Amino acid sequence: MITEPIEVERRAVERIVLGAFGELTGRRREPLRYAMMEDTPVGVLGLASGARGLRHLSYVRDEDDFLKRLLDEHGDVPVLRTDTLDDVRRALARYFAGKRLDFDLRVDLSDLPTFQRRVLDATARIPAGRVSTYGEVASRAGSPRASRAAGNALHVNPVAIVVPCHRVLRADGSLGGYGGGVRIKEWLLAHEGARPGVV
Amino acid sequence: MTPTTISERAAERIAVLLARHGEELARHIRRMVRDDDAAQDILQDTLIRAHGALARLPAGANTRAWLYRIATNTSLNHLRSRSRERAALERHAAEREVAAAPEPDAGVTPGETERATLWARVARLPERQRLALTLRIVDELDYEEIATRLGGTAAGARANVYQATRKLRLGVHTR
Repeated sequence: MITEPIEVERRAVERIVLGAFGELTGRRREPLRYAMMEDTPVGVLGLASGARGLRHLSYVRDEDDFLKRLLDEHGDVPVLRTDTLDDVRRALARYFAGKRLDFDLRVDLSDLPTFQRRVLDATARIPAGRVSTYGEVASRAGSPRASRAAGNALHVNPVAIVVPCHRVLRADGSLGGYGGGVRIKEWLLAHEGARPGVV
Repeated sequence: MTPTTISERAAERIAVLLARHGEELARHIRRMVRDDDAAQDILQDTLIRAHGALARLPAGANTRAWLYRIATNTSLNHLRSRSRERAALERHAAEREVAAAPEPDAGVTPGETERATLWARVARLPERQRLALTLRIVDELDYEEIATRLGGTAAGARANVYQATRKLRLGVHTR
C-alpha cells in the first residue's frame, strides 16, 4: 500500500506541533531541535541545533535536565526532540574514537553578547593537541586585560568540545576551571595529546 | 476547543510534553483523522487533558503509552461524528488512488477500482479493527506498538487485525 511521501508527512507533522506550541505555550519563534548522546567517555551529552547551526553541546544529567535548561534559556522558542542531528553525532563519535579531533560543523553563536562571541571565536581557532591561556584568548578577542572575563565567558560556553574551551588554561599552566568538571577537561586534553602544564 | 487561558507553569509542563512526544503524537493523530487542522486541535486537547491528569499518573508509569492512549481516545471522539469520519476516509481512499495511479492521465484501470472498493470496505470495519489494521499494514507496526497506541494488549491487537483481514477476505461489508 502506498502512503504519502515521508517528507510531506514530516513537514505536516512539524506544522501541527509548532502550531500547538504557539497556541498552548506562546512559543512561536524558529524551533530548536535536540538530541541526546547517552554513552560517551565524558558522560551524557545534550545537543541542540537551530536553522543556522549547532547552539548547544552540554554536559547534562539526563534528558529531563537538558530539556528544562533549553526551555528555561529560550523562553519563546519551541523545542523538539529529533533524530536528525546525525552530522553532529558522527563528528563527536569520530572525535571520541580519536579518528578526527577537529570539527567541521556549523556553530551558531549569534545570540551571545559580542565579547563572549569573540572569545569563543578565538577559542575555536586553537587546534587539537595545542593549548592557550585565558589572557591570550582575551587578547585575540580584542581585550588583552580581560582574562578573567574571558574565563567567565568560556565557563558558560554553550557549545562544549566543538568550541574547545577545554584547551584554554591558566597562565601558570594549571588547568583552571571547566563547566563539565576539571576531570573531563583533563581527559579531553589527554585524549588530544596535549600536555596540561606545558603551554 | 482549546481554552485560551493556561497558566505559565502549565504552559511549561505542556512544553516539556510537546518537546518530548509532540511529533510522534502528531503523526499518530494525523494518520487517524487525515486532517491537519483537526490533528492540531486534537493534539492540543490531548496535551491539556494529559496535563490535567499528569499529577494522578503513578510514579514510574509509562508516560508515552499513556499519552498515546489519550491521543487515540481524543481522535476517536473526533471521528465518532460519522459524517466527518466518512468524509475523511473517502478522502483517504482518494489520496491513495492518486498516489497509486501509474500515470496521472492513464484513466481508470481495474486495479484502481478494486483498491477503491477495498478502502471503502476498510472504512466500514469496526473502529478498533480498522485502526489496528491500518497501524499494522500502513505503518508496519508490531502488535506490541499497536497495543501501546490503541490501549489493550498485543494479543488483543493481533485479534483485531485478524478479524479485520478475515472480514475483508470474506467480503463482509457491514459491522
